[in-house]
Amino acid sequence: MKPLYLLFLATAELPAADPPAQVFQMNCSACHAVDQMVVGPSLVEISGIYGKDPDGFVKWCVAPQHKREGAIEMPSMAHLGEPTLRELHKYIIGHAAGKKEQKKADIDPYAVPAAQVRRPQVQRMFLPEASPAAIAVALPGELSFCFDAAECRLRYVWKGGFIDAWSYWKGNGSSQAKLGGEVIYRESRFPLTWPIAGEELPPKFLGYRVGKDGLPSFRYQRGGVTWTETIKPLSDGTGIERQFELDAGKAMTVAAEKAAVTSTTGSVAIPASATSFTLTFRWQ
Amino acid sequence: MIRHLSYFALLGTAAAANFTVERMPNPAGVDPQVGGVDVLPDGKVAVVFHRGEAMTFDPATKTWSKFAEGLQEPLGVIAESASSWLVMQRAELTRLKDTDGDGQADDYETVFDGFGMTGNYHEFAFGPAKGPDGSLYIALNLGSNGAGVREEIRGKWSEIGDLDFKQMIHDNEWGKRSVKAGRMYSRVPWRGWVLKLSPDGKTMTPFACGFRSPDGIGVDADGNVMVTDNQGDWRGTSPLHVLKPGGFHGHPASLVWQEGWNLGNPLKLPLAKIDAMRVKESGRFPQGELANSPTQSVVFPKTWGPYAGQVLIGEMNQKRMVRFTADDVNGFRQGSLIPIFDGTDLGNGNHRIAFANDGTLWVGKTHLSWAGAEGLVKVAPTQVNDAFIVTAVKLEKTAEGHSFRISFSQPLPSVNSIRLDRFNYLYHEDYGSPKVDEANVEITKREKIGDGHEWRLTVTPKLGAIHRFDLGGLKSEDGKSLEGKSVYYQASELP
Repeated sequence: MKPLYLLFLATAELPAADPPAQVFQMNCSACHAVDQMVVGPSLVEISGIYGKDPDGFVKWCVAPQHKREGAIEMPSMAHLGEPTLRELHKYIIGHAAGKKEQKKADIDPYAVPAAQVRRPQVQRMFLPEASPAAIAVALPGELSFCFDAAECRLRYVWKGGFIDAWSYWKGNGSSQAKLGGEVIYRESRFPLTWPIAGEELPPKFLGYRVGKDGLPSFRYQRGGVTWTETIKPLSDGTGIERQFELDAGKAMTVAAEKAAVTSTTGSVAIPASATSFTLTFRWQ
Repeated sequence: MIRHLSYFALLGTAAAANFTVERMPNPAGVDPQVGGVDVLPDGKVAVVFHRGEAMTFDPATKTWSKFAEGLQEPLGVIAESASSWLVMQRAELTRLKDTDGDGQADDYETVFDGFGMTGNYHEFAFGPAKGPDGSLYIALNLGSNGAGVREEIRGKWSEIGDLDFKQMIHDNEWGKRSVKAGRMYSRVPWRGWVLKLSPDGKTMTPFACGFRSPDGIGVDADGNVMVTDNQGDWRGTSPLHVLKPGGFHGHPASLVWQEGWNLGNPLKLPLAKIDAMRVKESGRFPQGELANSPTQSVVFPKTWGPYAGQVLIGEMNQKRMVRFTADDVNGFRQGSLIPIFDGTDLGNGNHRIAFANDGTLWVGKTHLSWAGAEGLVKVAPTQVNDAFIVTAVKLEKTAEGHSFRISFSQPLPSVNSIRLDRFNYLYHEDYGSPKVDEANVEITKREKIGDGHEWRLTVTPKLGAIHRFDLGGLKSEDGKSLEGKSVYYQASELP
């Protein structure tokens, strides 16, 4: 009876030192489960590391570091104070006793089988070899492309599956998505050029419209003109067709590095009178 | 499944306030981590998800329909109408518009993307919150040295920092250099800032800086912009800030983007100098005690009886939320943080919150690999007008010194059981802080004002400290226990 009486006195007079179970619930349980990794390691694993090392446990809790690839750093538990952390250590060892680590499978529970990936489809995502403002587009067929909203231009086209973003989605976004195939075409700059008179403003992204066919039409300002660009696959898979709509014509030439380009204007020298034209790019 | 759970029923005493907590079904095939919630005038709920879906939930049929998709990490939504939603995603503020009336957005209009991105995972973008004049406010997270930057970035690179651009690029050796990056960093524009946008999004004004991970932006009943931030470096415990336009709110990394900044690396300024520059906290959430990762703030509507006009704040780690009642002292808005929904079935991960016109509270949950939960939850109060709660705590100057005037929603015969103590946290570069300067605070006089709705407690408060009231023993005249048994008053100013 005596310990209970003391506890009663303590709660009546002062904010009591919380029992370890409550401290664990308030400070630890959101990230640490008994027998499997959640945000941080399980009590079983912690027990394996610090079972006989309460000093090391306290030291880690006060000044945690980033130790595991793919995991986040624990916030300091310095606010709990050493006596409470020592109690917590005992509590964790006690709870882990006799338990075994359960392994979690690293599989995307929302993954769609490759053959069933919806096409067309637009997904903004961190992608390799693009700015962080990248947009992945799956075209009908086997082609996909990366449009860069920071640079307002096509970056590359790949053939195969769409993207695997599980490494991004399973956590907090510290990974780029993997492309589902090989890049077959790449552009290092915007494919239309014009004589630049004076200083030209950097391009500005305006967004995109999704047509009834599900294809996005990207809108941007570049060279004093507002552009709308829609990219479609060629039916034989050897290239893409790019429809451009401009709010004002501009004399330009096509300067593609790794594709043969034909234009609905008849020539790759685009006259200022053309505000709507389509360029066909075939990979070389 | 509806569970009627009451804190007070569990304690076996008369119920003062009840809340029903009901989990909604998740949309099929969608990762149900919620980045934003809003309610349309017809009561349907606009929700945006981790993998970029924007969906409408019909509470009548409990069914979901897709409005848009393909966004990257949307972390906030304002549904202007059923056919026009403003969504903050990683790279931009976007207006999703259904222009052909088929119920799905076909226009993804870039409203504002005038901020930098390094590709660091921690550069989340939060908001928008709408001010009374229609202005929009967005909040931009700092980068974290849990990773470096990408080879391609968006926006102007700041040369201020111990590592240059090449050294900041993430590689297998990053862990050996990361300590030199600063725990959190702002190497591209407006990281650690709240930006104000004109209603059309065309004009941007840098509004306030000094934020770390401001995953909670809202506007209070008086039109003040409020931001919660997360415990970490320069955040001894999580703060609530009522923003001062142009003000610096404590985390130094963002200062490099202040107009005319010429003091070099702000992380290297003397602590006393930085401390003197900052706007103090309006409230602080004791870590591991009240809240660990507070989130969005919204104003309680009129339908919430004695709570109306106060601010409700979500919380990720603890199985509760927190409310804020303001006290203006010397022209500075500070106040009390009080737990709410303790003992209910609410659970944790309470990330985004929105009230419907009928008073229903919609809660969206997420975790993003941190502590939290998933899905959409409906919370409704029952007999809310009978709730026995603290409605205000005011720190006042009296002939004898100072007093706390506490207002309750119902009269009390006695407040003799109230206990008061105080403590503080350190303002420093280290991650978090131990509790410091803990002491009991003697209540030298307890005076009833009028019929007992209000009581005056004479005390000697401590400037800067959190004053914690233990109200667990209070009973109303008709025997009800209090909903919200602790009050954490932040005395950044003394009258």
